[in-house]
Amino acid sequence: MKPGAFEYVKASSVEEVLAALGRFDGDARILAGGQSLMPLMNMRMLRPAGIIDINGIPDLDTIRLEDGRVHVGALTRYRMLETSPLIQEHLPLVAHAVRRVADRQVRNRGTLGGSLCHSDPAAQMPLCAQTLGAEMVIAGPKGRRKVAAIDFFQGAYTTAVDPLEMLVEIVYPAMPGARVTLAQQTRRHGDFPTISVAAAAIVKDGVWTNWRIGMGGLSDRPLPAASLCAFLEGKPLTEALIAEASQILPDNIDPIDDVRATAEYRISLAPVYISRALTALLKGEGR
Amino acid sequence: MNDKTMKTGKDKLIGVNMLRKEDERLLQGAGRFVDDCDDPRMVHLAIGRCPYPHARIKSIDVEAARAMPGVFAILTGADIRARTEPISVLRPLPGLLRHSYYAMAQDVARFEGEPVVAVAARDRYVAEDALEQIIIDYEPLPHVVDAERAAAADAPILHPELGTNVVVDNTLDAGDPTPLLEAADVVVEDRFQLGRVLGLPIETRGVVARYDRAAGMLDVVTSNQSPHLTRSQLAQSLRMPESQIRLSAGTIGGSFGNKLGLYPEEIIASLFAIDTGRPVKWIEDRMEHFRATVHGRESTHRIKIGASKDGTLIALDDDYFIDIGAYNGPWGPSVLASVTMPGPYNFSGFRARRRVVVTNKVPMGAYRGYGPPESNFVREVLIDRIARKLGMDPAELRKKNMVRKEQMPFTSKSGAIYDSGDYSRCLDLALDKLGYKEQRQRQAEARKQGRLVGIGMSCYVEHAGYSAASISRHTGRRFGTFESVTIRLDMSGQATVFTGIPNFGQSLETAFTQLAASGLGLSPSQVVVKPGDTLGTPQSVGAFGSRGTLAGAGAISKAAGEIRAKILRLAAHELRVSLESLDINDGIITSHEDKSIQLPVSEIAEMAILGMDLPQGDEPGLEATAYWTQPGPSFGFGAVVAMVEVDPKSGEFKLERFIVAHDCGTMLNPMLVEGQVAGGICQGLGATLMENIIYDPDSGQLVNGSMVDYMVMTAADMPKFELAHLESPSPVTPFGIKGVGESGVIGAAGAVANAVSDALSPYGIEINRIPILPETIWRALRAAEKKAA
Amino acid sequence: MSGTHRIKVTVNGKLYEAEVESRRLLVDFLRHELMLYGTHAGCEQGACGACTVQFDGRAIKSCLMLAIQADGHEITTVEGLAKDGVLHDVQEAFRNAHGLQCGFCTPGFLMVAAALGEEKKVLKGDALRKELAGNLCRCTGYANIVTAVETYLEKVGGAAQ
Repeated sequence: MKPGAFEYVKASSVEEVLAALGRFDGDARILAGGQSLMPLMNMRMLRPAGIIDINGIPDLDTIRLEDGRVHVGALTRYRMLETSPLIQEHLPLVAHAVRRVADRQVRNRGTLGGSLCHSDPAAQMPLCAQTLGAEMVIAGPKGRRKVAAIDFFQGAYTTAVDPLEMLVEIVYPAMPGARVTLAQQTRRHGDFPTISVAAAAIVKDGVWTNWRIGMGGLSDRPLPAASLCAFLEGKPLTEALIAEASQILPDNIDPIDDVRATAEYRISLAPVYISRALTALLKGEGR
Repeated sequence: MNDKTMKTGKDKLIGVNMLRKEDERLLQGAGRFVDDCDDPRMVHLAIGRCPYPHARIKSIDVEAARAMPGVFAILTGADIRARTEPISVLRPLPGLLRHSYYAMAQDVARFEGEPVVAVAARDRYVAEDALEQIIIDYEPLPHVVDAERAAAADAPILHPELGTNVVVDNTLDAGDPTPLLEAADVVVEDRFQLGRVLGLPIETRGVVARYDRAAGMLDVVTSNQSPHLTRSQLAQSLRMPESQIRLSAGTIGGSFGNKLGLYPEEIIASLFAIDTGRPVKWIEDRMEHFRATVHGRESTHRIKIGASKDGTLIALDDDYFIDIGAYNGPWGPSVLASVTMPGPYNFSGFRARRRVVVTNKVPMGAYRGYGPPESNFVREVLIDRIARKLGMDPAELRKKNMVRKEQMPFTSKSGAIYDSGDYSRCLDLALDKLGYKEQRQRQAEARKQGRLVGIGMSCYVEHAGYSAASISRHTGRRFGTFESVTIRLDMSGQATVFTGIPNFGQSLETAFTQLAASGLGLSPSQVVVKPGDTLGTPQSVGAFGSRGTLAGAGAISKAAGEIRAKILRLAAHELRVSLESLDINDGIITSHEDKSIQLPVSEIAEMAILGMDLPQGDEPGLEATAYWTQPGPSFGFGAVVAMVEVDPKSGEFKLERFIVAHDCGTMLNPMLVEGQVAGGICQGLGATLMENIIYDPDSGQLVNGSMVDYMVMTAADMPKFELAHLESPSPVTPFGIKGVGESGVIGAAGAVANAVSDALSPYGIEINRIPILPETIWRALRAAEKKAA
Repeated sequence: MSGTHRIKVTVNGKLYEAEVESRRLLVDFLRHELMLYGTHAGCEQGACGACTVQFDGRAIKSCLMLAIQADGHEITTVEGLAKDGVLHDVQEAFRNAHGLQCGFCTPGFLMVAAALGEEKKVLKGDALRKELAGNLCRCTGYANIVTAVETYLEKVGGAAQ
């Protein structure tokens, strides 16, 4: 199928985007990498009056380290996350997980901001943002605001970004030297996972601290596994501890039945995948 | 073959890994697929399809769409009814209850995706805009998307004139097997389900139609495997003489059986071409493809097999349902599921009852294998269960019951005639490749550690070459089983092979070049193949059922032999040497009487074409048309061995080894043979591991009808596989070759299912459906644990 | 505006100027306006990869981009691989390994593989299979495609390792 007609606006600044969003009064979509938007447009499942192309905005794809936080521009492409030495060093979980996003072509074009705004509940980048407790910087008619990941993801394909606003930056707490892993079940390579566990921790002298764990597939949004992190914090990681830890699921789980799996199956997979993630960390199979 | 011409020159190019003639252009993107045909005056079609599984069309309002700029014409079901005949059935099963299948829904649409209206516009974008403006008032009707439910007395009836949804109910048997089964020492039985799948060629279907009013000629380019048969159907539907339609296939981007026979869109595009006087293009988009191109395989079997204590297979009794969707299309349901049910084994009793049921789903048609993969799965899984019950090795049990080499030709209880082969040796080949004994030991050790490792196998026959005999006995097909070519030399000595068979990836041009060059004594560079066109070619049947290359080989050898004989006759006359002394190699005529003779074929070609200095009795020209019919059926065969390890916690399993040993007779080009088998394996494993079309029983909607949602394997998912070859030449085919297009797909499901069941045998879990999904295994494991506790 | 836009785009080293509608997909523009039919549309939703081209040197799916987005950029399609009638190494490798059957998915695989080659990545086996997972093939079972790309990458990148 082919997209319906729309007005195309090429923006050269965030201000121009906001002005255009205002002009379309919410009936416009921001085109970043287009890897989620374009299929919906092509299938005519979306028929916005306006398409605002942000690919020409300078400096929207920068990655910088500032005061122990990594600032990533919303237009940063997956490929840049894959190859950035700064991300490798300071956000190893993102560097590790981004390789599991879709496929080579999608990663060459798709953007971090696009993924977060599309907010597929099973996607890897929202999971990492939730796991690491990232903050999203949102620009709107009244200026900029910061929203924590926990408040940003509001449901399947639903975020805190208002139709007249735009996500401009993602700010992650840096985790240099962390051991990280992503354990996930997919029906086939590159598909959105049925269930996923992202985990990061700092190991020093056999003690594991600064735990960050998040899970996908158990709700309409990625969930932080706070109790699990608290349980693991400051302990030596052992097989026995993993066996115990794998039973600690996040609060508020409410998985869905869909073509990928039933809710019942997803819940049963949760301990299996927690265990696989922690075992991978223990064996140093992640990064 | 006793025809001597079949053997001339065969040593040079038969069995050779010649690189493909097709590749030079395909690698440069110059394939000329249907959508590559453009014309600035062209109009583009978009087809409005019923969004419901079953609905009455109360009204269609096209006025707003008609008034849109860029819209040229609109057709609805009423136009179709007035101007066309329903699509004919090329292969009716015996006793089929006929029902009308028009190119667009008439009053009632019976599946999600059935064409209801069509728009011709300036481009596809505008045509789709226009569809959005067409207002259709639907009254949803009760639907049924399950075959067994549809066969029940209280089901909604799809075709009221039939009074039932069961359109075929027939039995193939060798007498009633019940007494044999009652007397058997062990009987195993189960209900099996095979998922609904698609061939999913990467090129969707497409049509370009042009109408020349002055000549009254309709020219249709369509992505189609059987141009002559499809033309005949199109002529009938359009009420036109066949001779006024040219139908050609261009290059086809994969087909796998899905592009056989006439579809509604060829009729619709032709009407628009006649009406607008413009070239008309319809390219199926992928969302349409899931709703407009045939699905395959879906069936449920209730099957029993009885055996004696010593492992002798006694009788097989199957009762199965095929879900053909809303209409019996041109190709309809598979015939061969019943015929190949006994497989490579010698049963004493056999019966297969087949019920074909219409449901509110996309019509079913041919898909690679088309019967054998279904029957192979259900039979092979039960054979393993017998082995488990008797405590026998499944390989030994199979070998004990296989038809033996010295029994060939062998007629199975289903009437299939196996021409040649050494079935047990083929199984041994696969087992040796695995290291069967060692792996069984490894499995035993793994089991001691609580690991679930399993080994499974399945053995199959592939109906690889149709013959007249098998047809008259079992089916009511309305097409012949011959194939034909015209070969014509030009004055440069180049030969052109004209054939109605199209090229869809099976390497037809390469294979036909090898055959023609061998037969003529030319070099491969002197042969050009013009495939897939009805214009100027003799009547052809088409490429399906692993028959194209094989049947074409017969015709090519015959025609080439005739031409070669004439070249030699003319050369003997010209050179004044004896006919017997002459030979042709790489386009050069030589004589063992006079070693100085090195005459290029082009010189004889020129002489023949100009008609100068011909010997008495020879006419000008250097061409021949030949038809060839296979004198008896030929069967390829194979054995598949799979090894898996199942994770008891998640139900996930890993295919650690996958081996296919197969025999397709003489391999014309082993590189191409391996390519065909590999492709078949990928589709066989796809249907075993992940592919499955899902209809929601409540809404009747197709749930996963897109390429994002329907899972086909990527390179990263495709397990590694190992191949082994055996060559048992067929006595009834040219050079002893057998078809191989379907070989790889047939045995996959049975072998993997058996490996998984073997791995899960500590829990007593038996696989009885494909695809085999991790969640299914997980459920079975939890149920088994509950039962044990 | 929802009307048309004037774009300048370099395709296979040649500069084109064209008037395109906002919604025209890049794949349709390449095929039906520039007559570069080697880029194939298999799904129009980014799932099959048959429409893969290189956009500023990176493999992307041209069904998920608008033609207008190509304004000022460089695109290489499969027609840009062979030079002066001589097949590119990656094409040669596919031919020698019987890495194609119907040929419809092939241009997409070639463009991904050629991009890997240009980066001098010498990948093998599973790592390579993951790089090729954005392209679907229904004919070959992938083994020969993987062999072809391995051979090609070794040839062009071997020295770099």
